[in-house]
Amino acid sequence: MTSLRVALLSSAHVHAAGWLAGLRQRPEVKVIGVADGDGARGRAFAAAQGLTWFDSYQAALAEAPDAVVINSENTRHAALVELAADAGAHILCEKPLATTAEEARRMVARCQDAGVILMTAFPLRFSPAVIAAREALLAGNLGRVYGCNATNQGQLPAHVPWFIDPQLAGGGALMDHVVHVADLLRWFFGSEVREVYALANRILHRELDPQVETGAVVLLDFEDGSIASIDSSWSRPPEYPTWGNVKLEIVGEGGLLTLDAFRQASTVYRRGMPGAQLAYWGSDDNQGLIDDFVDSLLQGRPPAISGEDGVQASAIAEAALQSARSGEPVRL
Amino acid sequence: MRVGIVGAGFMGETHARAWAATPARVAAIYSPREEPTRKLAQQVGASACPSLQELIDRVDVVDVCAPTDQHAAIGLQAAEAGRHLLMEKPLARRLREGQELLRACERAGVHLLVGHVLRFFPEYAAAQASVARGDIGDVAMLRLTRGSFQPWAGTAHWLTDESRSGGLILDLMIHDFDYAQWVAGPVESVHARSVRSREADAPGDYCLALLQHRSGAISHVEGAWAYPQPLFRTALEIAGSEGLIEQPVESGAPLHIRLAQQDAEGADIVAPTSPLAEDPFVTQMRNVHDVLAAGAAPRCSAAEALTALRIALAARESARCGWPVRPDELDGEAE
Repeated sequence: MTSLRVALLSSAHVHAAGWLAGLRQRPEVKVIGVADGDGARGRAFAAAQGLTWFDSYQAALAEAPDAVVINSENTRHAALVELAADAGAHILCEKPLATTAEEARRMVARCQDAGVILMTAFPLRFSPAVIAAREALLAGNLGRVYGCNATNQGQLPAHVPWFIDPQLAGGGALMDHVVHVADLLRWFFGSEVREVYALANRILHRELDPQVETGAVVLLDFEDGSIASIDSSWSRPPEYPTWGNVKLEIVGEGGLLTLDAFRQASTVYRRGMPGAQLAYWGSDDNQGLIDDFVDSLLQGRPPAISGEDGVQASAIAEAALQSARSGEPVRL
Repeated sequence: MRVGIVGAGFMGETHARAWAATPARVAAIYSPREEPTRKLAQQVGASACPSLQELIDRVDVVDVCAPTDQHAAIGLQAAEAGRHLLMEKPLARRLREGQELLRACERAGVHLLVGHVLRFFPEYAAAQASVARGDIGDVAMLRLTRGSFQPWAGTAHWLTDESRSGGLILDLMIHDFDYAQWVAGPVESVHARSVRSREADAPGDYCLALLQHRSGAISHVEGAWAYPQPLFRTALEIAGSEGLIEQPVESGAPLHIRLAQQDAEGADIVAPTSPLAEDPFVTQMRNVHDVLAAGAAPRCSAAEALTALRIALAARESARCGWPVRPDELDGEAE
């Protein structure tokens, strides 16, 4: 394969424009258009991005794209993955792959049967700072790892209402953000999570009467004996100078490793603007992810992130929600 | 006011320095270790006592800076003699001992104050006051980090013996457990994981604990005795319904001195320091003095210190058994 025709399925997720920009950096890729279950949203996205508009997913897939990028609401990933797999298109799917492990496994099996690639969008794996941290761990600099205190806190994405709709998102702050760091920790430690405990509440953004958790923290037990926590709360107020953070502090026998994945930013103050803003100047992780997806298809090799990676992260998020409801640890 | 300090180690010296800034006078020092006792007594102009009873006989207040497993016996002896008590944290090694101390002090009509000095560190006190004023609404998520190297690594010091000190959770993390209940109220359950609960002789210890508060708030508490020397780091973050208070690691350090020639020798134990007009240990001791001399309100009541002990013991139990533990349901044997 020397060129790729790619369709976007849905523009529900805020990352859709970023994936499109990444695809457009690649001369081998032609983005043939976008379809969306919400016609008004999809038409607006197509117009803003100068894309062809398909009035149904079937119409987009009838164009026989080589690949699709799925940006729908979380609970609608499965149906779109099945449609695309049946049409023989390779798939890059926004995270979380699914909101339950069982559904994620079905999606992976369906893609295997259809002979198409299913990659979950975990762009942090392409952050140079993250990669450097992993290399230090693999080099054994920290010795045996005791544990990790991680945050992936953010602002509540209030401008996209489905993020706090349990039917569409399958959860709130926990479902939105836990999977990113959970995936990194599996990748760092080379070990799977065996037990999950979580606490969640709905005190932040009470004014929205949220039907999902807005504050959440999970505690993970890995098979290799290390422990980790991930705080994925929507605890950055709207006034915060940036969207949020990804921070990992890993403690081991040999010392301490601290990673602040979005630290490469300058603080900007502007007349007439309240407060400071952080202007990120670090590398574009999204481009790294898109490049890996595109190159895996062009070169006929597996992508860096497997179907199983998507399944495991979904399983952790699902178990965490279950634990937060029951108050008890959940075995995977 | 005459004060007797029991213990001539790191905390005994720290308290002696702090008392010097109050109108009280350190009159007596006792510890079973003769040489350090004599040295500290000489430094502060106090008598080095040959026995605990002799110290008790000479003072109005007994300040217990002895190893944790001796707190109860020393405290009970002092209380029965009618002496006020300042007990370095943790209140006691076992829950039953803590309960006995509260009962004994009540019976004797003496004060029982506990050195939860974190309540006097300005960034922690200011954040608590801000929450109490309602600046950030209702607390949703409280995040606390406290870590250092393993104190007295590789020695037979009592601090490295969990049966005596209670280890990382009881000695270090109890600061943050107490702070969490001060800011976010009573704790319903504790879920914790630690390295040494699984591997008693691991070279370092690391613990993550989640607290469910009755209010609905959640606390995340991280503790480490695993950093390289001489690192000591703390962090504080409180997210509420109306705002956020952040005090990230090292953000409260206004001064860094980086020298070409570094002294390679590390201390055996350190306390976090930020240059201040008044050392938080002095602020604490002035409060202690005002409580004892003028009836001021203690910053940390004996009942709160007992609850902090319960939370820490619940964390130890949870790390051992693997399940969330309710501090209120611990029995006296909890350790």
